[in-house]
Amino acid sequence: MAWVTWRQHRSQLVAGLGLLVALAAAAFGTDLPIRAAYHRDALSGCLPPSARSGCDIIVKHFQGEFDSWAGAVRGLAVLPALAGLFVGAPLLARELEHGTHRFAWTQGITRRRWLLSKTALLAAATVTITALASGLVMWWRSPFDTLEGRMAPNGFDLEGLVVPAYALYALALGVLAGLLLRRTVAAMTVTLVVFAATRLLVLKFARPDFLPPLHRTVGANAVGTQAGDWILSDTLVDAGGRGITAAHEDLAVLHAQHAGLDPQTYLVTLGWKRVISYQPGGRFWTFQLIEAGLFIALAAAVVALTLWLVRRTPT
Amino acid sequence: MTSSLDAWSLGKRFRREWGLRDCTLTIPEGAIVGLTGPNAAGKSTLLALATGLLAPSEGSISVLGCDPLREPAVLAEVGFVAQNAPLYKSFTVGDTIEYARRTNVRWDAEIVADLLTRMDSQTKVGALSAGERARLALALVLGKRPQLLLLDEPFAGLDPLAGREFLQLLMDGVAETAATVVIASHVIAHIERVCDHIVLLTGGGVRLEGNVDELLDSHRILMGPRRPLGAIRGVREIVRERHSGRQLTLLVLADGPIVDSSWTVDQVGLEELLMAYMAPERLPSPQPSPQPEERLPLRWHG
Repeated sequence: MAWVTWRQHRSQLVAGLGLLVALAAAAFGTDLPIRAAYHRDALSGCLPPSARSGCDIIVKHFQGEFDSWAGAVRGLAVLPALAGLFVGAPLLARELEHGTHRFAWTQGITRRRWLLSKTALLAAATVTITALASGLVMWWRSPFDTLEGRMAPNGFDLEGLVVPAYALYALALGVLAGLLLRRTVAAMTVTLVVFAATRLLVLKFARPDFLPPLHRTVGANAVGTQAGDWILSDTLVDAGGRGITAAHEDLAVLHAQHAGLDPQTYLVTLGWKRVISYQPGGRFWTFQLIEAGLFIALAAAVVALTLWLVRRTPT
Repeated sequence: MTSSLDAWSLGKRFRREWGLRDCTLTIPEGAIVGLTGPNAAGKSTLLALATGLLAPSEGSISVLGCDPLREPAVLAEVGFVAQNAPLYKSFTVGDTIEYARRTNVRWDAEIVADLLTRMDSQTKVGALSAGERARLALALVLGKRPQLLLLDEPFAGLDPLAGREFLQLLMDGVAETAATVVIASHVIAHIERVCDHIVLLTGGGVRLEGNVDELLDSHRILMGPRRPLGAIRGVREIVRERHSGRQLTLLVLADGPIVDSSWTVDQVGLEELLMAYMAPERLPSPQPSPQPEERLPLRWHG
C-alpha cells in the first residue's frame, strides 16, 4: 500500500513540501530585519523583571514596526485546514466521483485495510510537514513570544503540538466528509466549515477552562496585565466586589472630568478595582498537550467512524 | 456440484424503487454464465452485491461460500470489471498494472504481459481507446487468477471486432483455470456463443435461469392455423403467442412430446427464447398440467 499511496498522492506531498519550503524561505527572509532590530534595540534588556527606563518606548516602537508582520503570520492558522481540504476530502470523494472505487475496492486488499493504510501514511506525512511548519513558526515568532508571550491565541494556535493535531483532525474530517458526500467540492466545503467550527468552539468554550483560570485584583488605575498571560476577562468592580457596568463607568469618568479630576485616580478613590482573570504563560505546554490531545482524540474518533462506515455504507 | 455464487431472496432497494428483488439463483462452479436482461433489469445491481459494493436490503448472497460484505477477503478470489472499466485515468498502463500487482495476493505477470504485448506501458490510461482499455481491465482481472470472474457490460463501447477479440481473450484466459465466468450484457448476440448457463433478469427479478442446453431442449416453437387456445398436450406453458393472418406461432415450454399433428414443431434459438421471455406479448399463464410438481431441472420464476 505504501507504493499505492505514494503513486496516488505524490503530487499532494510535493505540494506540501513546496509550501513548507516557501514558508521557510519567507521565514528566513523576514526574520533577518526582526532579529537585527531586536538586538539593535537591546530588547532582551527590557524583559521582565527588568525595569530599564525607556523600555515602554522601545517595545512600542518594535511592535509598531513588526506587529503587522506577526499579524500576517496569524493567517497560517489556516495551514492545518489545507490537509483536510486537499488531502482528506478528495481521498474517498474522488474515487466515488469517478467510480474508481469499484476498481480499488475489488482487488485482493480489503476496503478497510486500503483505507486504513492510506489514512495512516497520509497522516504520518501530514504530521511531519505540519510539525516542521510549526517549528519554523515558533522560531520566527520567538522575539514576539518573549515580548508578548504565546499563551494568547495569536501565538498558541500557530505553535507547538497543536498544529499537527489540528491537521490530523482536518485530514480525518475530510476523509469522512468525502465518504458521506461523495463529491470533492462538497466534501471540501463541509470539512472547512466543521473544522473552523470545532476550532472556534474549543477556543471559546473549552480552552479557557482547561485549568481553572487565575484571578488577580488590582487598583483601578494599575496596568495589572503581564505580557505572556492570556487575559480572559478584565472587569471593574466596586469596593463591595459587585460588577460595574460600562454605562456606570462612563458616568463616573464624566463626573470626574466635570469636577476637574483625573478619572483614573477618581475611580481609585471610589474604591473601585479591576479583577483580571487569566491563564498564565507558564501553562503553555500543559495547554498545548491538552488541546493537542483533544484534537488527536477527535481525529481518532472520526477515523474509527469512517472505517466503520466504509464497510457498511452501500456505494 | 458446488456453486460459485448463490443468492437467496436477494433484494436491493434504492431510494424509491427496487433495483433487484426476490432474486434466488445458483451459479454452478465452472459455468460460463450469460447474465442478461433489458437495461435497468438489475444486472449491475446483482454484480455490485456480489462484490460487496452494495449491501443487500433483504435476503443474502454468497460468493465462493463467503458473504462478500462480512468476509471481504473473498474478493481476492473474484475478478470484477465494473461497467466502463473504471481505472485511474492519470495512471500509466505500467502504474495500473503495478497497482493491481501490489493489491492482490497472487499475481500472474505472464498472462498480463501476454495480453498487453502491443501496449506501451508509458501510455496514460486516459489516452487508451475503448478496446485497449477493456483489454487492460481484462488483463488485470486475469492476472489475479480468480476463481470467479464478473464482467459488467464488457462490450459497451467496443466495435464488433474488438468485442469478438475481447471474448476470445477472455475464453483463452479462463480456459486453463476452470474459473466461473459471469458476463452481464444486454446484447444477447455477444454472449450467445460462449455461455452455457443463462440468468435472465427483468424488472429487478429473475425471469429465467438455467443451463442453455436444457433451456433449448425444453422449449419449442409451434406453428399452426389460428384457433382458440386451450390446453395443448405436451405444453406446460405458453411463453409467447404471435398471430399473423391465419397463422399462429407459439413459443412454449414443453413437458412432453407434442402429439397434435396440426402443429409444426420447431427448435428455438437462444436469442429468440430470451427475447420472448424478456418481452412476452402475453403474460404466461400456467397451463393445466397433469404434473403438480415441477420435475424439470430448469427452474422457472414467474
